[in-house]
Amino acid sequence: MRMNLILEVLDIPGQLVSILNPISELGANVVTIVHKREIKAEESKAAIEIALEGERENLQAVIDKFKEMGVNLIEVDDKVRKEKLSAILYGHIIDKDLRDTFDRINAVDGLVVSDLQIKLNGELESTALITIELDIGKREIAYNKIMEIAKEKDYLVIDEV
Amino acid sequence: MEECKLVLMGFGAVGKGVAKAIQMKKDMVNEKYGISLKIVAAADSSTSAICQDGLDEELLLKTKEETCKLANYPECGSELSGIEILDAVDYDILIEATPTNIKDAEPAKSLTLKAFADGKDVVTSNKGHLALFYKELIEAKEAAGVDFKFEASVGGAMPIINLCQETLASCGISSIKGILNGTTNYILSRMTTEGMSYENTLAEAQQLGIAETDPTQDVEGIDAACKVVILANSVLGIDATYSDVEVRGISDVSLDAIELAKEEGYFVKLIGGVSEKQLKVSPRLVKKNSPYAIDGTLNLANVTTDLADDITVMGKGAGSLETASAMLTDLINIIKNK
Repeated sequence: MRMNLILEVLDIPGQLVSILNPISELGANVVTIVHKREIKAEESKAAIEIALEGERENLQAVIDKFKEMGVNLIEVDDKVRKEKLSAILYGHIIDKDLRDTFDRINAVDGLVVSDLQIKLNGELESTALITIELDIGKREIAYNKIMEIAKEKDYLVIDEV
Repeated sequence: MEECKLVLMGFGAVGKGVAKAIQMKKDMVNEKYGISLKIVAAADSSTSAICQDGLDEELLLKTKEETCKLANYPECGSELSGIEILDAVDYDILIEATPTNIKDAEPAKSLTLKAFADGKDVVTSNKGHLALFYKELIEAKEAAGVDFKFEASVGGAMPIINLCQETLASCGISSIKGILNGTTNYILSRMTTEGMSYENTLAEAQQLGIAETDPTQDVEGIDAACKVVILANSVLGIDATYSDVEVRGISDVSLDAIELAKEEGYFVKLIGGVSEKQLKVSPRLVKKNSPYAIDGTLNLANVTTDLADDITVMGKGAGSLETASAMLTDLINIIKNK
């Protein structure tokens, strides 16, 4: 059978080889590889589409291996596995316990904070862009979590459409 | 040949645009629909020009331009104003283009109810009465058995209400999200491309005439919120009024936020959202390559439907002739349905 994967790898030399090796080792065959430059991957990462052929169990083994390696699977056979939600927070981001903000989001099943960009403004309020990686269908949960924290810590939120 | 006698209330940018559009298109309307459009009265805030045989559009524009008062219209000038005019002439359709008033919706509300009571159709560009008294107006319209159209009240020239009500008649609509205010979109776009602060960009917009001297209605999201209410009622059938909208404007959007968003592939836009669950106006992140990433004073609406999936429209949200185009379309549709 055949399987289409879209995954994210670090955009540096040698990354492609590192994901191709386990494929052959696990008895699956690579049909095509396409760099998906049109997909906006995370900073310094690139999206790659790979079509594989092999027995069902071999293909599953490849997916398990990728998960073990921490490769970010964006789509498997046209089914989106993960999505991202970004939001800008404005307020006393650091002072109002940034660690706590992270922990509370990460504590929700299917949500992981994957990136935080922050512009500090001395002692004044700062601006941060937080990115959460989430399992499909958890968008509303993630949104509500951000809003709950923002309300409590008095952050203004610019959420994603 | 049949006549359609019009009263044009309000002679600011929109009213003047309507006069101009009628002048430009009356031959076309005549040819296509066999109806002769005739402005029998036009009024500015304190005076009017009234002539049962019809006023000349060009002369109306010239009189207003040169003397500031329609009372100076040769031979037909009048000191009558407001609701009195509706009793002074025989007319078929009221074109109501007075300024939006979000406090008590006057004079638009009284003018509209009076026209309904007299059995006249109304076309409006006004948002105040629709945002505050939608239900009351529609009930009065239905009781009177007349037409009431207000495409120009949301998104200016951009078709959205008629699009949803008529063109997408087969579809159930679950939500509308859009950029419903051109002034704020201009300010946010300029902050993004030029790296200027909110205060400086606002000042620039004021100098260009894009923002008003008192920009509150635009920058605090009030104008967009009115449009959200109108869409909620007219398209989604939600019985809502202005106070049901959660509103946050753009005055607290910092340059830091805009730059941070830009670095990560986003723009900040003031988005009006309408759904059964929530009516909201707030600054939001939109992806750089998404349909929402429009610049300048443009407006945009994304309609989510059950059968047709997403439909997106974009167009000029303000401007004299542009807004008038939507009103003339409403007028023609009323004529066609007769």
